[in-house]
Amino acid sequence: MSALYIIAVGLGSAFLLGLLNERQRGLAYMITLAALTIMSAISASWLLIFAATGAHPIDILTAGTQPPFAINLRMGLVESALTLLINLTGLLAAIHMGDSLLAKGRRAMAVLVIAIMALCGIVLTRDIFNLFVFFELIVIATGGLVLLSDADDNGRAVSAGFKYLIVSQFISILLLIGIIFAYHATGTLNIDGMAEIVGSGIKPELATAFSLAFFLMFIAVVAELKPFPANGWALDIYESAHPGFSAIFSAATGSAALFAVDKLLLIGGADWLPVATGIGIVTFVGANLLALPQTNDRRLLGYSSIAQTGLVLTILGQQDILGEHTLFIAGGLLFAHAVAKAGLYWLSDFVATRSLTGWAALQERPLLVFAFVTFAAMLAGLPPFPGFYAKWELVHILAAEGRLALLALILFGALVEAGYLFRWFGYLIKREPDQEVSCNTVQIIPVFAAVLAGWALGFVWGELSGHSNLLLVLPLLFALAFLLLEWAPAWFKNTLAIGGMVTFFLQTYAEYDPLRLIFAVIFMIGGAVTLLASYHAHGRRIGFYPAAMLMFAGMILLIRATDTFGFFASWELLTVGSYFLILRGKHSEPHALSYIIFSLGGAFLILTAFALAAAAVPPAPTFAIASLGELVQPVAPWVFLLLAVGFMTKTAAIGVHIWLPGAHAEAETDVSPMVSGILLKAGLYGLFVLLMTMGKQSLYGVELTYVMLWIGAITALLGNLMAIFQEDAKRLLAYSSIGQMGYAMFGLALMNHLGWLLALMFVINHYIYKSMLFLSVGGVAKRTGTREMYKMGGLITLMPLSFIATLIGIIAVSGVPPLSGFGGRWIFYNAILTADSRLPMVLIFLAGPIAFLYLFRLIHTIFLGQLKDEHRRIKEAPFWIILPQMIYVALLMVVAVVPGMVLRHVDAYISRFFPEGALNWEGMSITSQFGYWNPVAIMIIVGVIFMLLFSWLLFVNRKAQKVKQFNIVFSAERPFRPETTHFAWNFFAPYRKAMGFLVQPFVTRFWETVTDLLHTAADITRRLYNGNGQIYAFHFLVFVVAVFAMKMGI
Amino acid sequence: MAHFAMATGFLLILIGAWGALTNRNLLRMIIAFTIADSGVNLVIIAVGYMHGRTAPILDSAVAAADAVQRIIDPVPQALVLTAIVIGVGVTALMLAYVYRLYEKRRSLDIGDFTELKG
Amino acid sequence: MDFDWMKIPYAFLTVFIVVNYGFLMTALIQKIGARAGRRYGIPIWQNYVDMIKNYGLRSSITHGVMFYLGPVFRLSGGVGLLLFVPSIYGSEMFSNLSFAGDLILALYFIFFGTLGMALGAAESGHPHAAIGITRGLSQVSMAELPFAMAVFSVALQYQTLSVTEIVAAQQGGIMSWTLFTNPLAVAAAMLSFLGSMMRPPFDVVIAPQEIPIGPPTEYHSSYLALMQTNRVIFPVAKIVIYMNLFFGGATNWPELFLKVFLLYLFSAFVGVCFPRFRVEQSIRWFLVWAVPLGILSIVLV
Repeated sequence: MSALYIIAVGLGSAFLLGLLNERQRGLAYMITLAALTIMSAISASWLLIFAATGAHPIDILTAGTQPPFAINLRMGLVESALTLLINLTGLLAAIHMGDSLLAKGRRAMAVLVIAIMALCGIVLTRDIFNLFVFFELIVIATGGLVLLSDADDNGRAVSAGFKYLIVSQFISILLLIGIIFAYHATGTLNIDGMAEIVGSGIKPELATAFSLAFFLMFIAVVAELKPFPANGWALDIYESAHPGFSAIFSAATGSAALFAVDKLLLIGGADWLPVATGIGIVTFVGANLLALPQTNDRRLLGYSSIAQTGLVLTILGQQDILGEHTLFIAGGLLFAHAVAKAGLYWLSDFVATRSLTGWAALQERPLLVFAFVTFAAMLAGLPPFPGFYAKWELVHILAAEGRLALLALILFGALVEAGYLFRWFGYLIKREPDQEVSCNTVQIIPVFAAVLAGWALGFVWGELSGHSNLLLVLPLLFALAFLLLEWAPAWFKNTLAIGGMVTFFLQTYAEYDPLRLIFAVIFMIGGAVTLLASYHAHGRRIGFYPAAMLMFAGMILLIRATDTFGFFASWELLTVGSYFLILRGKHSEPHALSYIIFSLGGAFLILTAFALAAAAVPPAPTFAIASLGELVQPVAPWVFLLLAVGFMTKTAAIGVHIWLPGAHAEAETDVSPMVSGILLKAGLYGLFVLLMTMGKQSLYGVELTYVMLWIGAITALLGNLMAIFQEDAKRLLAYSSIGQMGYAMFGLALMNHLGWLLALMFVINHYIYKSMLFLSVGGVAKRTGTREMYKMGGLITLMPLSFIATLIGIIAVSGVPPLSGFGGRWIFYNAILTADSRLPMVLIFLAGPIAFLYLFRLIHTIFLGQLKDEHRRIKEAPFWIILPQMIYVALLMVVAVVPGMVLRHVDAYISRFFPEGALNWEGMSITSQFGYWNPVAIMIIVGVIFMLLFSWLLFVNRKAQKVKQFNIVFSAERPFRPETTHFAWNFFAPYRKAMGFLVQPFVTRFWETVTDLLHTAADITRRLYNGNGQIYAFHFLVFVVAVFAMKMGI
Repeated sequence: MAHFAMATGFLLILIGAWGALTNRNLLRMIIAFTIADSGVNLVIIAVGYMHGRTAPILDSAVAAADAVQRIIDPVPQALVLTAIVIGVGVTALMLAYVYRLYEKRRSLDIGDFTELKG
Repeated sequence: MDFDWMKIPYAFLTVFIVVNYGFLMTALIQKIGARAGRRYGIPIWQNYVDMIKNYGLRSSITHGVMFYLGPVFRLSGGVGLLLFVPSIYGSEMFSNLSFAGDLILALYFIFFGTLGMALGAAESGHPHAAIGITRGLSQVSMAELPFAMAVFSVALQYQTLSVTEIVAAQQGGIMSWTLFTNPLAVAAAMLSFLGSMMRPPFDVVIAPQEIPIGPPTEYHSSYLALMQTNRVIFPVAKIVIYMNLFFGGATNWPELFLKVFLLYLFSAFVGVCFPRFRVEQSIRWFLVWAVPLGILSIVLV
């Protein structure tokens, strides 16, 4: 069916609606829906044809004459996709606005159909004046719809519409003048004809006039994109119109206008691409910054829409280097934006209040939360959505062409955008809902149509990407399958999850080399063991399993990834999964936010590094991770630096550590061990891979591994130091993790055989004891109802198993023989003896004993000392929380006695990289070139001495009598209140007096200042938007003049 | 003649723009826009005007055969017709807005409609 | 595993010798200290008397399992430390159980007793015990730092972590002792030594005079006996390590007795001369005076 019928059906049905009786509203509505359905079907059929056959675009001649003597339309792949988007948006919006349309009557419906028709017209037409006409039609239709659909019926939308009309008048004046002079210079109104004439050289005496004319046309059409900062007039519409219409305004109008800009760029040629880029990137960054302080949901979405449009404009401006990829990239971002934004606007109708926090009402409806997650992930460009693939491609090409400043700006804007989106999601999940969700079944249809479209687009873009389609990867599918199982009870899903991970491990374990095998065991088997604790949860536990399995899927894919794409995709997956998981904690909203922002920031660095690396070698569809080693100066150290910082955000190196304590401490009982014991290892795995492939690198004469050595040492010291001042048991453990990761990083950065073995020892040990301690402390917190250690005390007799786990844990962490921590210390000493540098060791030496301080505090203030009255009746932690702890205790014992079982294989593997310094595992003794160590003998000797003395004490002290709690010798008083007798609060006061200067929150203050600056800058800029339509028109004119001046400057 | 028309057209556009930017009264703004619109139309006509030719109407006065040499460019005139129609539509819409705004607030001052901002 | 079972009776012998030597030596030092303070002091056999008295006490209570095990941990730590280090250089008989591990094992095993003891004392629920432990841990974390650096320096110097080999490298006259070949490390270690000997100015941890404060507050009778035994074994074991690392080790028991006595006397000497530091003061003192020496010794070795 000819594409002309899209226009014809639109116009025809609008006229038909006009002929109807005012009372036949049902019929009118049916006609509207039918018209939009037919229009969508025409577009869809064309899209199928073009997608399936790859046919050339078809020109449709309107007056039976060839252009330029008549207007021609063109239908091609892009046009069909865009018109389908527009028509479907229109159809779904009509469904969404059903009630409202029925109330307003046939005129509103006619205006809606006209608007959609005109948007399709903008996409289809190849005539510049026709373009103007369609734009004017949209202005009138928009004005009409806004007038008819005053959302709150308080006149706000009407005043917004008037502002819109004022600026539209200026735009149309510019556009008309531009068109007539362009016509004068070229003698045609046909876009392709004009492009041809310009391309073949325009007459010199007309060249200046034409470029001025083109500027006017260009700026007028660009203005339809609402570029920052000349966009106050459009924002008010976003905010005040009916959300059903705002969805069209955002998704369809923006897309059509972008395509119009693309057509103009065809005329303007390469000269105008930088202008488009400049306007686009300023809009992207500026609008995202201004979205940051917004509190009105629809206005925020408006800013976000403008930002996304700016990004696509930037991409259109980069088509000189993007070439054939332009379509894939711009399309991916545009469709992701359009679908998500339309979905969010429709969703906003279900929320009664216009504040971001009001969205907490959605909490009660998991399906709507899922819809929100889908849309937010699409906007943030997360896998497996189209924006992700597009971002990957875009960053690679920009890096290859050396447009690094632009790349940095794009990533910065994207980070800001992710910041406000995830902050919003945090409100949605964590704030108290103050009212009910109001929605009917019909209104839900468009939202879920958008959700489905989002996932479908993700699939399509995955197929088109030339990389592996993430939606066909088994672990991810397994994780997503839990979305469909949300109705099932938690124990069922837990069994399935454990079974899935163990099965996958058994199927694949033969594929890993020894190093990866260790990580594989920790991720899959370790994950399964930790999940045992999740059996304690009752009910359905909605949201937990998809998130947890997404994280595990990401980690599994990470170790299986061979190319940079797979690596980065899995990195993002595990980041997102763990974010959702962390967000489940009761008070974790701000911490989850800082986690995701730091993680995404780190991920962007990794992405940039991969892109730089790929740019440095001959083009290939994929870039194997192993090829990182082939990089040479000058790019290699930069790649190293970016990757290292990216991975270090995950291991919470000092400076980028501030997200960790809150995130790990506020997470749920069984989530803390997952994100601490297991997830942190992903960062270490990254560092391992980095150092294995790239080795030592130096930048400006500074050895980067040496810098890393210092960072590791400082992290170890400060992490431990901060841990000792915590009152909150889980925060203490979290800071301890920072310190432990510092040790591991330090070991890696030593760049010798034993250093790496040390790091690996930390990987294993930290997984075991930190998982165990978090579970144990979590169990205690569950029973006592607090995490403040000073409120506990004397729980040893009530929770003996938890106590044993903690005891074994702290002995292992502290490195005291005979448990497994000692092995790490022994390897450490041997490793540093061959290290090149000695000074950083000083910090590590200091960090070691400090660990005793917080470990003792942990066990003393919880389990020893005075039992509180309110805790006298509490029971041992639930069985399912104890069980994994006991497994870990057994594991620790095994690793302590036969560390060689695991380590000797890795030792041999590391010899590939560092042949020097391997340990000798013959016999019972482990020997290095400096010393020796016999774990079995140590265990036996210590055991025998201990038992001998214990027997002796039992013999001489057999009649010892158990006394009550307060039966203690005291300074002339008899204690009776545990609270005043339990010495626990501010436990290390003298230490704070002496060393407190080291733990001032400088880093926290630094990042707070950064975010404050961003907010302040945004708030100051916001004052430009003073609400006055005349001022907005003035902004627009200033914008035009500024762009003109800059263009002439260029 | 053509240059004079074009200069007048641009002058009208500037007057209209100036009026739209400086008058706070909604109705005055609309009038300013119509002035600017007229200016635009004048400019379009002026661009299409060619000295010494006749109107692009193919009737007994102008034969179809030599029309290309004798008539002025018809396209701008066609465009102007469309532009005028659209201009009327937009003006009507704006007037409808003003009516509605006045109904809600009893004010015609653009500065009274700034509750949406930031 | 071919284990020489004769090592077991030899180990017992070492422990026996050291316990008796320790009883007498610490009493002697006490007496010297008292004389320096113009007091008469205790009789030389006082420790034996105390032991008999403590074992003989009939009242005996317990606050719980960890409380009970505390002294066991403590003494196991002391005995283990003694046995993991060879006492007499060149003597197979008194090389003890050093086959189990090298210097690093000994260093980390020091904490075994400390930790167990702290746990036991903490279970008594006595706030003074906990206060004593926080003070002790705070102080030791900084006091150990110069020692750790000195050990690192010595290990770098001799390129080994084996105590026997370190002693072997110092044979051949007094001038080949680490004391003279690496004086900075020894200086740092000796300052650190003061901090770990529970003597003034660093004895606020157990604050024996004013109030009954410190970890052992609640311990009595046979518990106290075990801990007293440790109080004599542990310093000797620790000094043996110092002797081996810095002062040429000992090739026979009399040499060991003499060196240990002199080293112990050093801490007692400083103790009678200086008043007591508060914890934060001692932390700062180690940071300012001992740590730079340690850093220098690492850099310069």
